[in-house]
Amino acid sequence: MSTTERPRSRPPLRPPTESDFSHRLRGAVVTARVGTWLGVCFLIAFVTGLISHYAQEPNQPIPFPTSPAWGYRVTQGLHIITGTAAVPLLLVKLWSVYPKLFAVPPKRARELAIEVAERASIAVLVAAAIFQLVSGLQNIAHWYTWPFSFRSVHYAVGWLVTGALLLHIAVKLPVIRGAYATPVRDDEPASPGSLDRRGLLRATWAATAVAVLATAGTTVPWLRRVSVLGVRSGDGPQGLPVNRSARAAGVTSRATSGRYTLEVVAGDRTVSLTRDDLLAMTQRTESLPIACVEGWSASAVWTGVRVRDLLDLVDAPRNSDVRVVSLQQRGAFGITHLPGNFADDDRTLLALALHGEPLALDHGYPARLIAPNRPGVLQTKWVTRLEVTA
Amino acid sequence: MRAARFLLGALGLGVLGWGAWLLLDQQDLAELRGVVVWLAGGVVVHDAVLAPLTLLVTAVGARVLPSSWQGAGARAVIVIGTVTLMAIPVLGRFGADYDPANATVLDRPYAAGWGAVVVLTLVAVAAHAGLRLGRRRAADPEA
Repeated sequence: MSTTERPRSRPPLRPPTESDFSHRLRGAVVTARVGTWLGVCFLIAFVTGLISHYAQEPNQPIPFPTSPAWGYRVTQGLHIITGTAAVPLLLVKLWSVYPKLFAVPPKRARELAIEVAERASIAVLVAAAIFQLVSGLQNIAHWYTWPFSFRSVHYAVGWLVTGALLLHIAVKLPVIRGAYATPVRDDEPASPGSLDRRGLLRATWAATAVAVLATAGTTVPWLRRVSVLGVRSGDGPQGLPVNRSARAAGVTSRATSGRYTLEVVAGDRTVSLTRDDLLAMTQRTESLPIACVEGWSASAVWTGVRVRDLLDLVDAPRNSDVRVVSLQQRGAFGITHLPGNFADDDRTLLALALHGEPLALDHGYPARLIAPNRPGVLQTKWVTRLEVTA
Repeated sequence: MRAARFLLGALGLGVLGWGAWLLLDQQDLAELRGVVVWLAGGVVVHDAVLAPLTLLVTAVGARVLPSSWQGAGARAVIVIGTVTLMAIPVLGRFGADYDPANATVLDRPYAAGWGAVVVLTLVAVAAHAGLRLGRRRAADPEA
């Protein structure tokens, strides 16, 4: 029997090519529209991410403003909301272009070189986009599995993904314009009950809305009961969530020993105050949000001593930068930097009470810093020393 | 248009380069290795696991579901699939051991919440498909 006579019941196995995939719903009309909203989400996340990064920067050429008090709450809430919204958008977008992964590369050297360059830039874009969403979602849920600094790498990859995105838009601009010139309803569904392009887009918007509604309650109070997949319910001691417990910070015995004192230092002048001394000073009450880098936030009523009143005890000049030292020894935020404009703001308190009760230990008892428009990680708890640095 | 594209592309390359420099400058070699593994890992998991799995689900759906319900099936998969992936960190409560004394994090009944999202999505999708089917039958009684 010769080989030509062998019955061929099935084609030989081979790697898939672009044309093997269904293109009924895939294509620029869908990709461009999903991509537009994905791009909007990434751009908002990038800008709000830069704001958050700058707010945590100890050396600021232009001081981060203290007003509006709710500013950081809004920008960081948006950062997490747009990142969450990007998950369904990215998944549908990648689905719509997946066949291109198997496109046969051109043979002529010049076209091949262009193809390789474009594919490399898309590889960076896809890798960086997936990384930002996965690492961000894990980080807000305290699931730390990486061997590097989240803050440093998430920041750098934010620039990477934004650059690759701008480049991608520049390359695809004619395709995007062509896609928007084609009506979405320009297609025929394969059968009456099957999905058409409009249905696919609507399902994508619905998935995005569900993802946002199911999580945004960690920062939008009226969504709290709807956000069944939020990292936090919003409950906690004195009705407020906690990012780091006293036990995890290793401060329990020192904070409750009764030997607590606050030292206020400027140059060679030092004043030492017990909690009772602090309570004997003029008490101020401010309603200020606590807004975490992880995107959750809540408004609360704080009572305590104005930081400026404390600085006046040691005759610290106006606009003095202050080093805030916590009893906390473990972790990166045991010592924080309070810029002069924050130290001088009337709303910046060394809080002793929350919602009219003495601070809970997990909220920073005996005393904690609370300032307007400031990332939660810098609202130092268990404060034991305020030291004027400049 | 040409000039705008060129400018946008050049800006993109600059921003991309700045990001790459930040990565190289601020991480040591072991950290960089981790970054590369994480960057490449996401692409591999998507392209080699998630995307083929989606194709498989699509193929099975095309065989199992009657044609008039395939659009509804696709809608359900899009919403439930993407929201489930988004919720993996809370569904698994993988971060619960990080600070066990903190009872204010990962403090919702996530399995029940996820179940509620799934049920509500299925109900909404089925109601939508039923309405469309009814409208089509009313418009064309022969169908």
